Amino acid sequence: MQRREFVKTLGATGVALYASDLVGDLMAQSPRARVMDSRFRGLSDLALGEAKRLGCTYADIRFTRNVNDSVAVRDRIVTDSFGFGAGGMETSAGFGVRVIHSGVWGFASSPFVTEAEIRKITAQATEVAKASAVSKRFEVKLAPVEAYQDYWAVPVQQKPEDVSLDDKISFLMKINEAALKVPGVIRVQSNMAFDYEWKYLATSEGSYIEQEIWRTSPGFTVTALKDGKAKSRTFSVAPKSAGYEVVLEARMLENVERIAAEAVEHCTAPPAGVGLKDLVMTPAHAMLTIHEIVAHPTELDRVVGYEANYAGTSFVKVGDIGKLMMGSKLFNVTCDRTLPGGMCTVGYDDDGVKSQRWPIIREGRLVDLQTNRETAHYIGQTASKGCTFATSWRNYPFLRMPNVHVEPGPPGSPTPDEIIADTKDGILIDGRGSYSIDQQRFNGQFGGDAFWEIKNGKKTRMLSDVTYNAITTDFWQNLDATSGKESWAMFGTTGDAKGQPVQINHPSHGSPWVRIRRIMVGAAFS
Amino acid sequence: MAYSRDEIKQITDKVLNMCKADAAEVRFSGGERSATRFANSSITANLIEHDQEVSITVRFGQKTASATTHQFDDESLTRTIDAVQALARRKPDNPELMPLVEPPQAYMEFDAALPSAVNFGPAERARMVKASTDICEKRGVLGAGYIPKFDWVEASANSGGLFTYFHYADASFILTCRTPDQTGSGWAGTTGVKDIRNIDAEMLTNVAADKALKSRKPRAVEPGNYTVILEPRPAARYLSLMLGSLNARNAEEGRSFMSGKQRGETRLGEKVFGDNFTLRSEIGNQVLRQSPVGQDGLAARSVTWIEKGVVKNLFYDRYWAQRQKKEPTGTTPNMSLVMDGGTASVDEMIKSTKRGLLVSFFWYIRPVDNMTLLNTGMTRDGLFLIENGEIVAPVQNFRWNESPAVSFNNISALGPQVPMHTGEAYDNPGTALVPAMKLEDFTMTSISPAV
Repeated sequence: MQRREFVKTLGATGVALYASDLVGDLMAQSPRARVMDSRFRGLSDLALGEAKRLGCTYADIRFTRNVNDSVAVRDRIVTDSFGFGAGGMETSAGFGVRVIHSGVWGFASSPFVTEAEIRKITAQATEVAKASAVSKRFEVKLAPVEAYQDYWAVPVQQKPEDVSLDDKISFLMKINEAALKVPGVIRVQSNMAFDYEWKYLATSEGSYIEQEIWRTSPGFTVTALKDGKAKSRTFSVAPKSAGYEVVLEARMLENVERIAAEAVEHCTAPPAGVGLKDLVMTPAHAMLTIHEIVAHPTELDRVVGYEANYAGTSFVKVGDIGKLMMGSKLFNVTCDRTLPGGMCTVGYDDDGVKSQRWPIIREGRLVDLQTNRETAHYIGQTASKGCTFATSWRNYPFLRMPNVHVEPGPPGSPTPDEIIADTKDGILIDGRGSYSIDQQRFNGQFGGDAFWEIKNGKKTRMLSDVTYNAITTDFWQNLDATSGKESWAMFGTTGDAKGQPVQINHPSHGSPWVRIRRIMVGAAFS
Repeated sequence: MAYSRDEIKQITDKVLNMCKADAAEVRFSGGERSATRFANSSITANLIEHDQEVSITVRFGQKTASATTHQFDDESLTRTIDAVQALARRKPDNPELMPLVEPPQAYMEFDAALPSAVNFGPAERARMVKASTDICEKRGVLGAGYIPKFDWVEASANSGGLFTYFHYADASFILTCRTPDQTGSGWAGTTGVKDIRNIDAEMLTNVAADKALKSRKPRAVEPGNYTVILEPRPAARYLSLMLGSLNARNAEEGRSFMSGKQRGETRLGEKVFGDNFTLRSEIGNQVLRQSPVGQDGLAARSVTWIEKGVVKNLFYDRYWAQRQKKEPTGTTPNMSLVMDGGTASVDEMIKSTKRGLLVSFFWYIRPVDNMTLLNTGMTRDGLFLIENGEIVAPVQNFRWNESPAVSFNNISALGPQVPMHTGEAYDNPGTALVPAMKLEDFTMTSISPAV
């Protein structure tokens, strides 16, 4: 197809509407997995050549096509308002050009994928960088990276688009029906959301990388009303980089009655009160705490001040590596962009750095941080750990967390039941609830989705009004039990916000069951 | 270049003509979103994003589905419409689907895209950064900030002949100054400004630098109940926490702070807040200049939500209004929001305070209990102890747990209103006119040494 066939205009208005050179069509014309034969290679070379001609010392162009699709059933009514994106079905495609000129970044993006537009946007990104040089006080320094020509994709057993809408609705409707049968339930929403991300990255350093990622996130929430109190309970399903198999393996239907009954019980559950308790946390709850007070403070861009105006800085300092005790000897944390299923698992990051797995905490001690090409030099490293990501073609890439996991205990570690049996005065917490953390990730207050009293080794009754307060290092110092790998599970979030303009990331966080001794509970309600 | 009314009309007409459904709606959103970021007193990102999207909703009887595309060529539109029509046909009936809003709707007309904002480019933003960071350097602090700019069009049309178009352009300047020893931090900013000449980057930089320098080496004071003076930014964030409770359906279903004693009842007409708490949506406000287009294309009209503490209106969406035999509100509570202010300056509020805290910023606010509007959050970027009418020391940040349902009964002074964003980020419309406010008995729960 020739370029002139691509371009059409609408009527006499002069609004340029570009036809058939859509990323999707170009994808169809390009042999998958043969990146050097792709139509995007030629378009990329156009941008890279133009950037070089304009005097840029670095350039990359990233084409993406994102398809968000979701369906939800609320009180037997099919709705769209749920998902990775704004809800419903959304197709978004375009490209972004990033350059370094005069030692400063410039970025511009557009949904119109034509040669003329690529030239224009490349020039605009360059102009932005040149204009910015007036207010630079330091220059961008990129860690070196090998050039790759590669294709990488998430392994998928069943593509979500291959499952009929009828089947999806029917499944979600069954969850509605089952939940609404439970006395006291006033509302239920069941949902499934799918995110397909295709991207082609080309850099002025010789990389041409094509990747395809599918993410799937199902779940349901039941709301009950009893004695004038309304409470909701959400069934935690781990969202994953994978296909429809995530829905099929989630055992949602099997758990509806239990979850609905727990929502009802929660309405009349007694408050936990205020005091020091031992917390036993399921992986579905621990993921949030890991995300907020382990993963965020170990982002190097935060540590060196890049996020001071919004997301914040960190209590961790550059000089803390190798010294700071973040937790007890049982506390081992690993960053991982390679583990199958992790929502941040990719072949390469958006700098073109090959994905990796690396420790950041070992036996309680901070040993490393999350880095990308732009920030690695701040801690004297000569290679990036590969943490650059942009939500879509429209957004500029910057440092985002990978999957961050707490490692399971060694062989012989207690089972979840054994941890409970060994707890005299505690609270079992499952699922996500209210959470709020200071801008340096040191003081956090967390809730959960459901809570049970543990008395003398027995899980007794549900409790309400549970929040706990965590001073990060003290909190993890009080970690005194981790279950083994048999009960290790990876949950995650589809809405990790950071940056200005805000971008969304989808990290996974794996954890064993953990116990944290003597933590202040209930202060929010005192 | 923003899309003109005629250009958008051509697009929406084209989409509507292509649809074969019983009825269809098209929403257009597009334009330029640009931004400049800086940190450690150096520019770190400067960008221009161009985007456009149409969201197409089709109906067959009570069946409906929506899809969004960013490509407007015939093939893409055809593909999207075919897909969404197939989706809609396969869906069960939606009993809550309301008929299309019919024209004519009397939208208030005013100019929300002034040339100074439309033409606010990357070079001008970079110069603003330079002016700000030069001051930072002189004052011995590090500046980190954000200058977002929108030149944007929101439009919609339906197959019943309705067409709406709203073009706006605005910008914000938001800055955090930190001391090199990392013990002091200060915030200042202005948001949602329609006339860029009203952004005084140098003044704001001096305010943030002052706060950073004065907040160095804060001391810890005991958690407990304090008189707090919220400057406009934390006041705007705090105000936003009660907006969701104005939803009539949630209230009547028993799931909200505004629920009455029995299911189906609300607190409409009750005096829930103090005499000095009045909250309105003032469509056409000349400072805010925000969209006059309400839910589904209804003409937004000014609504008084709370008047002298009494709940005057709740938001009825079109479906719930019909079900409850009420008029739909059209105006959502976050539109053109104005909280009545007073005449007290922050300095005067300080002078009248025996013991309290001056709060520069609230951070990471999250709900703890929706029924009571209990929320938690942190102070940040400048917290100062007041004793006997004077600021006596910077203090370490606090976590708080408090409810606006309580606090808005405890307002002891209000300042003049200023435009300030109510959201956590600054990327979408959300600026309201909000006063600084002095609140009694505000619950600080624990200390955080984070700076």
